[in-house]
Amino acid sequence: MSPEHSNMAETRSDGTPVSVGPAISVRNLSKAYGDNKVIDNMSFDLERGRVYVVMGPSGCGKSTLLRHMIGAEEQDSGQVLIDGMDIQSANPRQREEAKRKYGVLFQSAALLNGLTVAQNVALPIQRHTDLPQSTIDLMVRLKLELVGMGEAADKYPYEISGGMKKRAGLARAIALDPAIVFYDEPSAGLDPVMIGVIDKLIRDLTAKLGITSVVITHEMPSIFRIADEVLMLYGGRIVFRGTPQDLRNSNAPMVRQFINGDPEGPINAPRQLADLSERLIAGSKRKEPAK
Amino acid sequence: MALFADPVGALGGLVNRQLRDLGAAVRFGLVAVGYGFRGLFNRRIYPRRDLIVQMDYTGARSTAIMVLLGAMVGASLVIQMTPSLSRYGPPELVAGVVGVSVLRTLGPLLAAIIFAGRVGAGFTAELGTMAVSEEILALETMGINPVGYLVAPRFLAACIMLPACTVLFDLAALAGGYFVGIHQFNIPSEDWFNITKQFVKMSDFTFGLAKSVLFAWLITLVCCFKGFHAKGSGIEVGRATMQAIVICLILIILSDTVMSLVYNFLFRMGIVS
Repeated sequence: MSPEHSNMAETRSDGTPVSVGPAISVRNLSKAYGDNKVIDNMSFDLERGRVYVVMGPSGCGKSTLLRHMIGAEEQDSGQVLIDGMDIQSANPRQREEAKRKYGVLFQSAALLNGLTVAQNVALPIQRHTDLPQSTIDLMVRLKLELVGMGEAADKYPYEISGGMKKRAGLARAIALDPAIVFYDEPSAGLDPVMIGVIDKLIRDLTAKLGITSVVITHEMPSIFRIADEVLMLYGGRIVFRGTPQDLRNSNAPMVRQFINGDPEGPINAPRQLADLSERLIAGSKRKEPAK
Repeated sequence: MALFADPVGALGGLVNRQLRDLGAAVRFGLVAVGYGFRGLFNRRIYPRRDLIVQMDYTGARSTAIMVLLGAMVGASLVIQMTPSLSRYGPPELVAGVVGVSVLRTLGPLLAAIIFAGRVGAGFTAELGTMAVSEEILALETMGINPVGYLVAPRFLAACIMLPACTVLFDLAALAGGYFVGIHQFNIPSEDWFNITKQFVKMSDFTFGLAKSVLFAWLITLVCCFKGFHAKGSGIEVGRATMQAIVICLILIILSDTVMSLVYNFLFRMGIVS
């Protein structure tokens, strides 16, 4: 598909184009680092206005998939289409245009430490629009109020808590009213109450703004709270796709092991760690002096 | 192990990687230059305020150390050279030797080394921390070119402020030398100025300034490139900073030698006097 191709096939009554088709299409995506195949010929579509959770054990390719979807990494083969546009093969102008369509909330929030919270949120608006500063300030205030951060607008990132950073990062991610928001481990390092706050924000933003949300997480309560659909990755492939209810009812051993946090099962890494802990315990018992 | 199994292949791989990195670094430096000048006319590339902040950080806050070390270098030169020169001629000659050596080589060289240690290390540490905390990636996903936004103002600020620091260092070194020459070795002030005028030419000063602009580009290029490519954790940022400073020192001294050879060639050809 050419980079010029876009999902703007229909128009509204006022003539403005309406996006149709999937928000994100991943087609035969493959990526390897040396001999380690992290994504193996993966294909899926994500529809508009829904919350998708991508989960799986550490090293299964979640973060690599996210980096491909946000255009931060180049694939070995295949395509990632954002609103019908292949970011990798697009020219710089098209790529810049495509980047307006999505926002990213990073695991560490990735706020620029030299700027206040409000300046961080204003950054993409200043970069991509010719709006006067007074309008930008108003937009920033609205976005910060939306995530409950109006009070902290003039604070620097190092002056606020982890949960506040996440919310400020979310305000920045939605600053340009994107169609898609990617969340990289949004609940990492937060207390259960703050995880609940972030989960509610994700659901609210999806419902109120019609955003397509792609959430990378392995926080099981969050997954059941926010997901419309769950994709589970393992070994660079999708091993499960379905609703949270399907996930709960699944009898697939890999899914059951992951949901239950069982060290025994088809997922390899915990097995190796379990063996290691057994060896360590056995070793320490041998060293105990005889009584 | 690969080195012993296939030494030629390992060496080839190493050379290939180094050349690839060199190409990427030079491209990075040229892009920074382009954005630096375009940013003067296009506010979207980097905020004008950032250029002022960087000029303050790189230049204004370096003045004290430049003056202090410059004065000590000038004084030290006179203290060490006057007794030796006295064996072959009048001690006043030291004024000329200090003038030429400071303006042509020592001033730009030492100012650049101090600048690399103070400012360059700061660039690598700051950008490296931003890289490992995904701030640079965040800029990219917002459609903001991080080289334009972060490196270009640093490059411009360094290219303006390192020559300014060099002038300051030169003046401090000449003043330090003069002070010691007058008070320690009883050289008449008038003789000092006359000898300095006879030895020192305007081209010595402009040649030194030209070198300092090149050094500023090299320091910004190496330190920002290393910071941008730091991965993992704070340990990697520390390692990148150390590598950046070592590479800067090598490149500064190497390019100083090459520039001296060029100057000598131009002098022989009668292009410069």
